Amino acid sequence: MKKLLSCLLLFVIIAGCSNEQSFEPVEINPEVDVCEVCNMSLSNKDYATQLFSKDGDVFLFDDIGCMFEYIDKDQQIAREDIEVQYVRDLKTTDWIQIENAYFVYNPDVWTPMANGVVSFGSEESANEFVQEQGKGEVLNYEQLLEHKWGWEG
Amino acid sequence: MRHFCLKEVGIIFLIVLIALMKSPTVQAADISLSAEDSIQEAINQALTGDTIVIQAGIYTEELTIDKSITLRGEEGVVIEGDGEGNVITIVGDGVTIEGLTVENSGTEKDNAGIYVQEGSNHVIKDNVFKDTMNGIYINKSTKNVITGNQISSVSDHFSNRGSGIFVYGGSDHTIEENVMMRVQDGVYLESVSNVHLRNNAVLGSRYGLHFMFAEDVVAEENQMKSNITGLMIMDSTRIRVLNNEVIEQFHVRGFGVLIYESEDLQLEGNEIRQNSTGVSLEKTVDVDITRNLISANQVGLEFIGENKNNIFIENNFIANVVQSKISNNKMQLDNGEVGNYWDDYASFDINGDGIGEEMYKAGSLYDQLLEKQPYWQFFFESPSIKLWSQAESFFPSLSADVYDENPLVEPIQLADDSEKGETVRDIGALIVSMAFLWFSILLIWLGRHYT
Repeated sequence: MKKLLSCLLLFVIIAGCSNEQSFEPVEINPEVDVCEVCNMSLSNKDYATQLFSKDGDVFLFDDIGCMFEYIDKDQQIAREDIEVQYVRDLKTTDWIQIENAYFVYNPDVWTPMANGVVSFGSEESANEFVQEQGKGEVLNYEQLLEHKWGWEG
Repeated sequence: MRHFCLKEVGIIFLIVLIALMKSPTVQAADISLSAEDSIQEAINQALTGDTIVIQAGIYTEELTIDKSITLRGEEGVVIEGDGEGNVITIVGDGVTIEGLTVENSGTEKDNAGIYVQEGSNHVIKDNVFKDTMNGIYINKSTKNVITGNQISSVSDHFSNRGSGIFVYGGSDHTIEENVMMRVQDGVYLESVSNVHLRNNAVLGSRYGLHFMFAEDVVAEENQMKSNITGLMIMDSTRIRVLNNEVIEQFHVRGFGVLIYESEDLQLEGNEIRQNSTGVSLEKTVDVDITRNLISANQVGLEFIGENKNNIFIENNFIANVVQSKISNNKMQLDNGEVGNYWDDYASFDINGDGIGEEMYKAGSLYDQLLEKQPYWQFFFESPSIKLWSQAESFFPSLSADVYDENPLVEPIQLADDSEKGETVRDIGALIVSMAFLWFSILLIWLGRHYT
């Protein structure tokens, strides 16, 4: 019995050690999760984004604009210390890596911090969204890096 | 002849009088409806200026109002939607809706009990909203008066509810004496200017009053209680927050007042009591915080990041677990003449001007450590930290970058009624002290005589 217990303990310890750092998107809990930048609760889950540092810390944001503000304006994290960034496909609410996403910028589109940028998993759904709204500009990740945000003023 | 003349004048006068009395009824008819009638049909047939009076009953229909009319419900009128879209949609100008109970809107983000799509000069008064996503949604409209409504949203987690009064775009609204319970945000203003909020109450919701990109807003005498955050002011300019009651925001992420990236604000005469954090400022410019009671919060005052040009005087800090958490750069918390009352301040007022002779230091090295290592909160009030803080106080240069040079030795009297209480207590104290005095004199006298 003792042997079994110590085996179990050893197993737990080893499992704990060998467990690789996970960079999978975390689930949003709107009761307690708030945006790292603007303090707003992540009530509009479909607009939320997340960022993992290389250390494995996860930072949550309520709007894509806030995530860019965190990196570029507040300089809370250097780009080379970022492991991965996730944004939502507004249509399916799936998490997608930011480099693979397509974005629509339309200042009239509502987003939690009024940045007017929403994200999609494919160029088709981004185009579809522009057609629905009758207005908007489709951007890929490289183009989004050049985008001038509202907070840049 | 004289008699005849008088009679004629009398007749003319009567005719004029009747004409005067009759003229409004010619222009605006009172249309009365009962439960079998369709309200929409009455609206379609009504003329501008008409008043439709609805008798008690449950009306299961959705309404669109496209002309300037008044819809008035007698007691017990329920307008019930089918759970999709808006219950009442306003597209015209000058619509008045009064005394209705509006229920069961759709649950899309924009759905509402009353949806004002456009126009101006609407009055929405004394209605009750139940199970509506947003109670009242005002879209790019101007000069509306919203008073005396009671609003609760759908019964779901706050992230899936709508706001009590959601105002997007437009300007010049008066929002008074409404009660919002279990909504997302009591009043949400986005890209709106010139709004007067007075005497509203928001209970058990996410944010009491939530301003985004708002300008020229006055919020006075409102009550925010048991929400996540009482006042959430973000990216807004020229906001006056006067004489509000902000109490019991005890959520783990909760604040009494949170101000983020805003300019030109005034907070005066507010009672900010029993919140997780009383007042928190982040990236603000020109904030004037004067004569507030900041009491019994877990953290009284918090500054995050760079805040410029803050005036911070004559506030009473009483019985907060932590008075302030200020971890950024150097900051002076008084205006050079007068500071604030801090109940943990202990020094003497030698020259009797009501201002203590030593500066009050807000924030310690421990606070700075907490910023980097939040888990160190565990050691709060532990002997080692107390010893540390005591030692620190001998070396002011170590930590005194946030300070109040003119701390008050007595709390500021904030309201007239508390002054009255003070005098009563003084008389009581006098009587008791006199009793003690006479008793001790008696004891001494007795002692001298009988020993």
